[in-house]
Amino acid sequence: MKSKANTMAGLGLLLMPLIWIDPVTYLTLTVAGLSLGMLIFLIASGLTLIFGLMDVLNLAHAAFFAFGAYMGYTVLYLFNSWGWIEGASLWGSLWFLVVALGTAGLVGALLGVITERLVIQRVYGDHLMQLLVTVGVSFVMVEILKIIWGVNDEVVPIPLAFQDSFIIYGVFVEYFRVVAILLGVLVFAVLQFMLKKTKIGIIVRAGVENREIVQTTGYNINRIFTMVFALGAAFAAIGGTMMAIFNQAVDPGMGDQFLIFALIVVIIGGMGSVTGSFVGAIIVGLSFNYVAYLVPKMALGVNFMIMAIILLIRPKGLFGKE
Amino acid sequence: MIMDSGMTDKMAVNDHTLSKENVPALTSLDTFRIGIVILMGLVPFIFPSFRVMDVMAKIMIFTLVVASFDLLLGYTGILSFAHGMFFGIGAYSVALILYHTAAPAWYHIIIAILISLVVSIGLSLVISFFSLRVKAIFFAMLTLALAEFAHILGVQWTSLTGGEDGISFTLPWIFNFNHTFGTVWHTQINGRLVVYFLILFSTLFLFAGLVRFTRSPVGRVLQSIRDNEQRAVALGYQTFRYQIYSIVFGSSVASLGGILFAMWLCYVNPDSVFHTAIMVNILLMVLIGGMGTLYGSVIGAAFLIITENWLPQLLKSAAELVPQSHVIQVLADRWQLYFGILFVLVVLFFPKGVLGTIRAHYRQRVIESESIENQLK
Repeated sequence: MKSKANTMAGLGLLLMPLIWIDPVTYLTLTVAGLSLGMLIFLIASGLTLIFGLMDVLNLAHAAFFAFGAYMGYTVLYLFNSWGWIEGASLWGSLWFLVVALGTAGLVGALLGVITERLVIQRVYGDHLMQLLVTVGVSFVMVEILKIIWGVNDEVVPIPLAFQDSFIIYGVFVEYFRVVAILLGVLVFAVLQFMLKKTKIGIIVRAGVENREIVQTTGYNINRIFTMVFALGAAFAAIGGTMMAIFNQAVDPGMGDQFLIFALIVVIIGGMGSVTGSFVGAIIVGLSFNYVAYLVPKMALGVNFMIMAIILLIRPKGLFGKE
Repeated sequence: MIMDSGMTDKMAVNDHTLSKENVPALTSLDTFRIGIVILMGLVPFIFPSFRVMDVMAKIMIFTLVVASFDLLLGYTGILSFAHGMFFGIGAYSVALILYHTAAPAWYHIIIAILISLVVSIGLSLVISFFSLRVKAIFFAMLTLALAEFAHILGVQWTSLTGGEDGISFTLPWIFNFNHTFGTVWHTQINGRLVVYFLILFSTLFLFAGLVRFTRSPVGRVLQSIRDNEQRAVALGYQTFRYQIYSIVFGSSVASLGGILFAMWLCYVNPDSVFHTAIMVNILLMVLIGGMGTLYGSVIGAAFLIITENWLPQLLKSAAELVPQSHVIQVLADRWQLYFGILFVLVVLFFPKGVLGTIRAHYRQRVIESESIENQLK
């Protein structure tokens, strides 16, 4: 009964902007908001996965994100220099996207493995140390990024096919937005499957409670921890590439800008809850777009207001465990 | 996490009883401290170069900011990423008021101080109200998001803050750099020197206030919360309230530090006061000096600011030895990289910092000598 009331309240809030916005614009904004939300979810999912399972708040997440963005940029730049990108068909572009995302994901996972083995393994179980050390790692990684790619903004070459749009009921929908939404939903499904239907979630959570006992049951807990961390980093990197294409530009400080969104999403959704991050990302993406249309200057501020309201009602976030 | 707590307590208790009951004799450590302060006061007269004075002034300002951060991190066990933001609020409040008034007078600085205090107290109350109820880690996330927000606001609210170009302004009254009073020891006493001494005395006063605060009954409760919150609750303390005292006090001191910083440079921009790099620097200074020591902030600030001033040049001249190699030139350019690496290494392998390690060593010796004495009895 109560959950029904909550859903109704949520739907009501979702439709509220219709008072000020005409329906066609509203739908366009909704599609844009959903795709932005899904991109933010890609970033936040890694953060919430690592926090929820391993109890590590990884502030170097933004750096993985930026590295992923630059890797995607490099791949697309190479393809473009061979003249493959601009004239590619929609399906061809999708293949290039998959290659770019795959490269970024692999590099992100590799960086994740290195970071976990070198640094994070030494600070399990100590929140303060984790926060401090990951801030340092983030700083170092961004500096390395500046050494490799330079400090200036770069323009990302993107397939023209992604910028095309199709029309449903008078609403223009860009193909890339659809891709972003589908990818977000796919990642959500994969994570839910992994956590609910496989044993990995249980093993990792048990490992956080007591490493020795899990090891005696025959699982190599160190390797599993590294894998989860690498997976989180890979999601961040994939999110980075998607955001690089979405914005058509990369710059070394982009990690910090989107870390705000990810943090707000994780706080709204409840720390460590993947469903919470999913809902939180949709809320943030939609409200950002509606408000950016109505009162452009308030766009980021409204997310803080939403966060404050949700924290007042539910201090642990929407889906946080009591 | 903060291992030397027992020892700091012990030392602090000794100091406390000393200063209360009998007239304290100056220990060699006290003489050393007073010597440093006198040396700081003499610097403008000994070194005519502006650069040395500039480094000293920044060391003093950051000592203050780092000490106030240590109150949160080392004495209360709260990690606030918004500390740099409060520093920026102070800097911007004085800059904005002096910039937007037609003819600034001395009382405009007082107004700026009041405004920055009101804003930082209000904001820190709001932050703690929202996040402290839940978990310390929440506090870290919320403050990080807020600090990024402040940076974006500084960059984008161009009509008020001037955007990325920042604001430069002139100081009123005797603080104006063109104001001269004559010369002493071949040194011109001008507005800049007045600001230098203002920084020196404000730092001394506020630092003493911080030391006093940590040794007060409230400070004791804070340390007990840091070491074991549940026990503090069980003893009947409202931990929430005590943590708020600490956050409000620490943030206010940080914003005052920001005011001094802006007055010294007469220029602020978002990157110089709101950027994450400032926060990383403050963190590094606390860690190098030693968390929970307060006096360590002097060591941390001095080390980092002196290196920051000379390291880029050093790297550049080193890179000129190998002019052909492009890689080495680039590596020499990104000197902040080495700070980052140092940061990670300090956290992992040297978490007590310089002063923390020295104190732990000293404490070990005291324990050993005490046990020997007991054996002799």
